[in-house]
Amino acid sequence: MAKPKISTDWLCGCAGCHMSLLDIDERIIKIAELADIRSTPVTDLKEPDEAGVDVGILEGGVNNTYNEEVAHKMRKRCKLLVALGDCAVFGGVPAMRNLVGTEEALRRAYIEAESVDDEGFIPSDPELGVMTNARALQEVVPVDIFVPGCPPDPDTIYYVLSELAQGRMPKLDDGKLQWH
Amino acid sequence: MINLIIDGKNVEVPNGATVLQAAEAAGIHIPTLCNHPSLKPFGGCRLCLVEVEGARTLQPSCTLPAGNNMVVRTNTDKVKAARKFVLTLIFSDRNHFCPFCQVTGGDCELQNSALNEGMANWPYIPNWNNYPVDASHKYFVLDNNRCILCHRCVRACGELVGNFTLGIEERGAQSMLVADTGVPLGESSCVQCGTCVAVCPTGALIERSYAYQGHEADMDKVQSICVGCSVGCGVTVYARDNRIVRILGDWDAPVNGGVLCKTGRFIPLEEDRERITSPMVKKDGKLEPATWEEALSKIAEKVKPLAGMNGSGVAALASTRLPAEALSLFKQIFAGGLHSSMVTSIEEGTTTAAASSLAETLGKPFEANLDALKASDCVVAAGVDLAESHLVAGFMVKRNLPGGTRLILINSGETGLDPQASVLLKAAQGTDADVFKGIAAALVKLGLRDGDGVSAAAELTRAAQATGIAEDDLVEAAGLIGLAEQPMFVYGKGITAKNSPQTLASLVELSKLADASVLSLKGEANSLAAAAYQLDKPFEVNGHQAVFVALGDDTPSQRLIQRLENAPFLAVQASYASRLTAMADVVLPVEMWAEQEGHYVNLEGRLQKANRVLTAPDGVRSNADALMALAEQLGFTVDEDWQAALSARPTPAAIAA
Amino acid sequence: MPAQKLTIEPVTRIEGHAKVTIHMNDAGKVERAYMHVNEFRGFEKFCEGRMYFEMPYITPRICGICPVSHHLAAAKAGDALMGCPPPRPASLLRELMHMGQVIQSHGMHFFELAGPDLLLGFDADPATRNVVGLIQANPDLATKAVALRKYGQEIIKILGGRRIHPLFAIPGGVNKALKPEERDVILAGLDEAIATTQVGISIMRDWAEKNMEDINKFAVFPTGYFGMVTPDNGLELYDGQIRLIDQTGEQLEKFDGANYLDHIAEHVENWSYLKFPYYKKLGWPQGVYRVGPLGRLNVAEKIDTPLANEELKNFKALNNGNPVENTLYYHYARLIETLFAIERVRVLLDDPDILSTDILNTQRSFQGQGVGVIEAPRGTLIHHYWAEPNGQLTRVNLIVSTGHNNWAMSNAVDSVAKTYITGPEVHEGLLNRVEAAIRAYDPCLSCSTHAVGQMPMVVDVVDPQGNTIQTLRRNA
Repeated sequence: MAKPKISTDWLCGCAGCHMSLLDIDERIIKIAELADIRSTPVTDLKEPDEAGVDVGILEGGVNNTYNEEVAHKMRKRCKLLVALGDCAVFGGVPAMRNLVGTEEALRRAYIEAESVDDEGFIPSDPELGVMTNARALQEVVPVDIFVPGCPPDPDTIYYVLSELAQGRMPKLDDGKLQWH
Repeated sequence: MINLIIDGKNVEVPNGATVLQAAEAAGIHIPTLCNHPSLKPFGGCRLCLVEVEGARTLQPSCTLPAGNNMVVRTNTDKVKAARKFVLTLIFSDRNHFCPFCQVTGGDCELQNSALNEGMANWPYIPNWNNYPVDASHKYFVLDNNRCILCHRCVRACGELVGNFTLGIEERGAQSMLVADTGVPLGESSCVQCGTCVAVCPTGALIERSYAYQGHEADMDKVQSICVGCSVGCGVTVYARDNRIVRILGDWDAPVNGGVLCKTGRFIPLEEDRERITSPMVKKDGKLEPATWEEALSKIAEKVKPLAGMNGSGVAALASTRLPAEALSLFKQIFAGGLHSSMVTSIEEGTTTAAASSLAETLGKPFEANLDALKASDCVVAAGVDLAESHLVAGFMVKRNLPGGTRLILINSGETGLDPQASVLLKAAQGTDADVFKGIAAALVKLGLRDGDGVSAAAELTRAAQATGIAEDDLVEAAGLIGLAEQPMFVYGKGITAKNSPQTLASLVELSKLADASVLSLKGEANSLAAAAYQLDKPFEVNGHQAVFVALGDDTPSQRLIQRLENAPFLAVQASYASRLTAMADVVLPVEMWAEQEGHYVNLEGRLQKANRVLTAPDGVRSNADALMALAEQLGFTVDEDWQAALSARPTPAAIAA
Repeated sequence: MPAQKLTIEPVTRIEGHAKVTIHMNDAGKVERAYMHVNEFRGFEKFCEGRMYFEMPYITPRICGICPVSHHLAAAKAGDALMGCPPPRPASLLRELMHMGQVIQSHGMHFFELAGPDLLLGFDADPATRNVVGLIQANPDLATKAVALRKYGQEIIKILGGRRIHPLFAIPGGVNKALKPEERDVILAGLDEAIATTQVGISIMRDWAEKNMEDINKFAVFPTGYFGMVTPDNGLELYDGQIRLIDQTGEQLEKFDGANYLDHIAEHVENWSYLKFPYYKKLGWPQGVYRVGPLGRLNVAEKIDTPLANEELKNFKALNNGNPVENTLYYHYARLIETLFAIERVRVLLDDPDILSTDILNTQRSFQGQGVGVIEAPRGTLIHHYWAEPNGQLTRVNLIVSTGHNNWAMSNAVDSVAKTYITGPEVHEGLLNRVEAAIRAYDPCLSCSTHAVGQMPMVVDVVDPQGNTIQTLRRNA
């Protein structure tokens, strides 16, 4: 039987969940034995296989149109979608932008900030993403497994990965469930 | 008794118990949020919903009285779904950002409730309204984004403290915690007791000093006694790496039941005085570090020759923040071994001497205890401002006022509780005795107590004239006292300090006539122990050649410093540097309140033990050890049975452990 | 030859999101290449109204690789804002955590992010040109690399309870003292960490020897250099003045980080959410400078720990004592700093104050505003807060490490594109080289835009009418 394929990506997060994933330290070798690690932000494959992967893992919330595209593509191409970390599960700290408004936040950063010189303005090149409200992943695509934490503990991440790699659904109990 | 069945288990509880209490008695856990063991049930959060056979809907177990033959189920799928739904609604109502909150990761009751229900996400989306953060208060911050409207803080401010500063304005989604009529907390009628913060289940109310000091699990927790005043509240002190990070009221303490005032909760954390960690001896006009041997022998060589010299010998003062162990040794050294006639406490008996004298006359204690105060339906407070001192005793009165308890205040000036009083009796200075006589007369005139009505009327008129209080006011007060079921007189320094002994005698006579209990508030933490040890006479420096001050961690008053400025030889045992230690010839470094173990007698005679929270710096000794070492240096034998010595004379309140 | 635009999105093996567009001219040469950082989050705005003591806990969520940098910079800004300098033991402990972070971040970057290019080759198969491929090609080295990162992370966990977003620093100090047994644990791992770092250094030097042509033509250009130093211009990562030198090595400024607004400003371009800091006196763009390992080692005249100092001498010799301009030497500088950080851990652990419990100053004396500056692994990080006397923040300004390198990264992309793309035919290894130009700077784009993003990699070669002539995909 072919090893299950796992693909990950990060949206509007801080990369901390992926760093917590790397915090499984040498256990990554075990995961690499159990599963075929495909595209991730720290490998050179750029998107989940068009032919599909078994497990998709997304860190970070959905805060602009590019995040939406990535979320939809991952949802389409994976069988089980995991929302990893508080940003993906709840919106997280970046969602605090919803409390002040995107326009106000842009104005503060690019015009009002004390270190910006007299020629500050809000960038608007079409190459740049279009901002949206900051959202949890489940507001955009259906999510199968939620692994909250900021970041989730490496032991929890290892447990989730190894269960999924062995074809089982992880159950977050006995202290594995955390929101902090 | 009521018999009911919970989850198939037979439970028997007294009449009036709630289903929640019955479940607890049976060892069955029902999750709650707005419930708090020290507050009346509220039924606001709906997390405690249970199935009750025959009931149309799920019922809140915290407010539902247990009924005979009731069948309750606490763990069905319906109940579990309801709990998740309740939590979901709570989370979607405000903005809960767990990642950076001060209580995240184990110390948030809301988060823990969600984790206990296995919630790995929120099905509903928060509304993203930006709720205000109120940072106007000196000691804590309110973040309305985290508030779940459990009302615990509102209830605590009312039921436990009687201040009623906090309330909820508007309704439904517009509900908002407010202070008074909607002013910033820092500008409100808040008395900074911090009880609201202690009961808040989320990070909505956060103490500034405790923020990010660590998780509860990281803390050393020690139960001890506050030494801020004579009430002697039980405290739970949190420490980490030998520093105090938080002081909470001990919810199980019989005196205060978890309530504290700012003096006990916040002020000790503001300590910024310079600490003394080494004995010091003055050489060529300058204080230099010395060994304990040097310092003690310097004191001994000065005071020993002065033994027995009345008037020009040794005078000694002790702070009543010192534990009984130290006070007893202090007395034995200076009044005993050195035979000094000027051995007293810094309080100089102003809060205890009159009452002690009366106790001696009567041959026994005559005062009631705090239980009587907590149960009284008519409290007369004389010569004290309960908004300025003994605050927790004031809370005990204030919180009963909405329930019908009446408050009568007898003072010559204004007090902070004046607005709450049913009757204000503003007596001219020094006329308190006449106030009591006037009330007594009014009781008889009204026919509420037996006596000669005619002479009573005349006495009433005389008393009114003498005090400057209207007869009608005295009559009104008498009416309330006379008809009360458990009237109580509490009195303070205003009665005991400057008035003649007759004042207290008339107060006690009035209390007998009125079938009322009496309780004086005393002063500092160990005032009553000091009184028991007869360390309660006025202090006069009168040619004394040496003065010893066992200051402990107390702050010397300007007046004390002035009076000792010309002492030919001054030795001080203290924790912190002050003008007094700077003036001293010898300084001995001693433990501060959190570093010591020792016993305290509170205002009602309750003997309690303060426990060590911190380790003192090297070279610092306990107050008792310092005095013991001095005794050894002087060649005195001392009796370490400080407890037996407490019964040397009758005290106003009976002293019992 | 029709003009065309090449697009690389996303750039991988960096933290955060970047997209590159390469504009070709009619002659089939690269006209101009841009690095677009295309996401934004808004910390500077939504932190208004929060309490100053929350900032060491909110701002680490800017970045999960270097949260400790923000954690400490925020605490330092809080120290300044509330006039509560930490007792010396607390500063030592904060620096100890910071060294742990430098070790894990630099270690991870060299071996796991940049490493695959150097160890497996720029042109290696993209399917295995990654950390998993490294584990398979050289399991022994991979194990060492994982252990080095773990060593740094464990220091953070010992002090702050967890590896990422620790609970430790508060304005006025820290909340936990170091226990003797914890100190012993950290000491025990030192030698192995040094050995692994030295393996990395020899890998880098061997690679440089064998690839000298690349070293000398891959994004080599003059800029100023900017970083913290000790009073006598030694390398400093935790606390010190900032030194700015020009391309010849002459000192332009040496100043207190609190006065950064007197010396630097930020320029905005329409095509990137990442702002461009520059030295005001020289203006934009003459005043551009580089930060991070290359910048810091150019600015420093020495290193106060022996092994790293020896290595620094080798580094300085690369350009005969003049500032080293080669982008690829960032990797070398990064390892030298890792060596310094590990040696510095020993110095800190040997300090008699490291076990003290005098770790928190609780006095508060409101100053109106406060600036906290630290050398994060990627460069100088500045947190600036203004607040009300009650401690609520009214304004926040953040200049985040990678931001200072924005011009240099863009220029590196432009330079590498122009150097290596010599015609309209575009092959995969070439694109990887353009990405490697960015990778050398170890950008933290989450930090620098206080934002992040990522996308799949498609290269469309289009004619001026927008018709696709050729499509290259970089996925399996």
